[in-house]
This record gives sequence, C-alpha cells and structure tokens, in this order.
Amino acid sequence: MARRIIEACLLVVVLWCLATPGLAHHSFGAEYDANQPMTLTGVLTKIEWTNPHSHFYLDVKDNKGNVVNWKFEGYGPGVLYRLGWKKDVTMKPGDTVTVFGWRARDGGNWAHSREITLSGGTKMFFGPPSGTGDGGNSPAVEVR
Amino acid sequence: MRVFFVAAALAIGLWQVSTFAQTATGRGTTTKAPAASAVPRGSDGKPDLTGVWQGGSTQRGNWEETNGGVGVGGSGRNPSAPVVLSSNDRPAGREGAPYQPWAAQKVLEAFNRRGIDDPTSLCLPAGLPRTVMLGLFPQQIIQTPKQIVILYEYMNVFRVIPMNAKHPDDLIPSYMGNSVGHWEGDTLVVDVVGFNDKTWLAGTGTFHSDELHVAERYTRVDKDQINYEVTMEDPKVLTKPWVLRSTIMLREGTRLEEYICAENNIDPERYENLLKDGIKFIRQ
Repeated sequence: MARRIIEACLLVVVLWCLATPGLAHHSFGAEYDANQPMTLTGVLTKIEWTNPHSHFYLDVKDNKGNVVNWKFEGYGPGVLYRLGWKKDVTMKPGDTVTVFGWRARDGGNWAHSREITLSGGTKMFFGPPSGTGDGGNSPAVEVR
Repeated sequence: MRVFFVAAALAIGLWQVSTFAQTATGRGTTTKAPAASAVPRGSDGKPDLTGVWQGGSTQRGNWEETNGGVGVGGSGRNPSAPVVLSSNDRPAGREGAPYQPWAAQKVLEAFNRRGIDDPTSLCLPAGLPRTVMLGLFPQQIIQTPKQIVILYEYMNVFRVIPMNAKHPDDLIPSYMGNSVGHWEGDTLVVDVVGFNDKTWLAGTGTFHSDELHVAERYTRVDKDQINYEVTMEDPKVLTKPWVLRSTIMLREGTRLEEYICAENNIDPERYENLLKDGIKFIRQ
C-alpha cells in the first residue's frame, strides 16, 4: 500500500510538472529531432560550463570499433548547480558515462542531452526535455 | 492502473485548487491555502515580498524539493510523452492571445519556424511578462517602503520600481520597461510603459509594439505563494487587453547566479546553417 501511495505521489509530480512552465534559451525543435532519441555510452573528454548552454564531449566507440567524439548540449551552469551538479566533482574527464538524449537534425555527432548515468550509477539531468522552447503543441493564437 | 487514476485525480484536484487561486487573484477575494503560514509584513504593514522566488511553478518547498526529482519540465524518460510547456508555449486550456488578424498571422509564422526568431536566442532580455513567469531561473525581490527592486537571474536583468511615483516624461525605449508601483490593499500594483518592440510577451512569436502597456498585480496569499496577474494592452497589435495569471513560489535557500548569455551563444549560427543547408525543421 505504501508503495502504491509513493507511486501515486510520483505520478502526481510528473503530471504536475507537465503543466509547469520552464524555459529554454532557444528552440530544441529547430536544432534537435525528438524522433531520434539515442543512448550512448562513452568516456568523458571535456566539459564546458558556459552560458547559455553547457557542453560535454564523449569518446564513443562505433560498431566498427572506431572512436568518435560526440558533443552534447545541456543547461547552463546556474541551472546545473541547482540540479545538484558540482563542477569537477560530479563528472570528470576519464569517467565512463551513459547519456540519453536526442540527435541533432543535421546528422552530426552532436546531441541534446537529457539524462546522464554517472560512472557510479547515479542518474542526473543535464538538459531539458525534448521540445522545450520550440513553441509546444499549439501556437499562442487561435488558428482559423 | 488504479495508481494512475488516483494520481490523475490528485493532480486534477491540485490543478483545480491552483486554478481557483489564480482566478481569485486581483478580484478582491482572499485565497486561503491549506496549512500555509502567514504573510510576512514590513514596518509599513504591507506584505513584504522580499525573498528569492520561482515563477511558473505551483509547488511549495525549496528549489531542490520542487525541481530536483524529475527536473524542470518532467521526467524526459519517455520521448513520446506530451511536450512539456516552456514559457514559449501556450498553456493548455488558455484562450488564444487576442491578436489582430494580421498580427496573429505573424505569431503563427514564428510558431511554424519553431521559435528560431526568439529574441532570447540572441541573448537579448526576455522582457515582460515573460521574465516574471519563466520557471527555470530564480528571481529575487528586495522590498523597501519607497522602492522595490527585482533581480532576475535569466539574462541578469533588473527592475527598480519606485513606489507612488509617476513615470518620467523622457522615457527611452527599453526591454524591461519603466516600472512604478503602488499598493491597493495587500496587492502590489506595478504599471510598466516605455518598452521597445523587441521582446515576446508570453509564447513563441508573441510580439508587441512600443505602445505596450503592462499592468501587474502581485498578491502574496501566504508565506510561500504570490498570485501574479498581468494585463497587457497594445492598440497596435491586440484587439483587447490580454490577461494572464500564474503563481510565483518562494524558494528559501536559493541564491541567484550569474548568467552571461553572450559567453558561448552558438545557436544563431546553427539556425543559419540549418536554413542554408535546407535541413527541414519548419512546421508545415
């Protein structure tokens, strides 16, 4: 019963957040394709804590064993800090991490990151959900 | 499945409570939140709004409690889930903005271009009321009897609001406008004019002219919550006043951070490349 109550509470939070306005600096939908979700595991090579967006880079092995360096975009430093990220502590070059996100529309080795599974197994958000900032499902005006 | 229905019912219930609270704003009614503590007051007896706040939220608690678990905007674990609202989005159930037909067409075009023309993508200030209602960044209110100052982390902009003052007669166009305030009972009323025409109001493409007039009402209903009501008037682009309501929630223990947007803003160049390379992203 207790578990069901907890599950119900979690669902409330999720449903609640669906109605909570956030803000992205720019349009997700222009640069990234919500229909191309991807999960990649690799070795962290660099993190840029910069505004308006932070970036990090992963060396990822492709099917042929070749190492490809991928770039991921996420929240700026202030938002990351409030989500619990600590610079040079939470994630460091050399760490093996797994990233869930969405690929860039231009097909490059570039993606929008959402959730990172750290080397110790902890999961943390690094970027907003897909679709943030590109206008949502309907325009601000009635369409006739 | 039963769990889902219970959760949905609770969520709907919370939504209705919130909607009622928001609807009550500015209509002279008092909203009593359950188990909420009293409104702090200054030496002049007026509600003291001093503190760090989060717009666009309805949840009580510190930043970590209200944002840390699922992150701003939802779980993100299910890419097929409904798109989460951002300040660029039109909230569900809200009436369309009352734009004149030619202006509505322009708003629609910006929506179809997925917001790449957003002034904030050039790191320009988000203007009003967008800056107040966004949820990802905190804002800090510093109140004295003679003036109120609001600092916004997003784009690192500020507003100085003198109380019981008149707008200067030599205003220059600005992104955040010129604000003057006064109290109507326990509601802080802020009148804002002197805008340029370079910001969006609330939602993708919601442009305005330099004749924009914004009237804000801040009512702190308890320790944790300010009910925010904003009325936008613009005879050049709107057919009637556009009224929006939301809540601004106290976030004790949160500090404002620096936000220097121009540091590494690569997005405009990326948009140009997308257009140049013919990458399809525009809504049909």
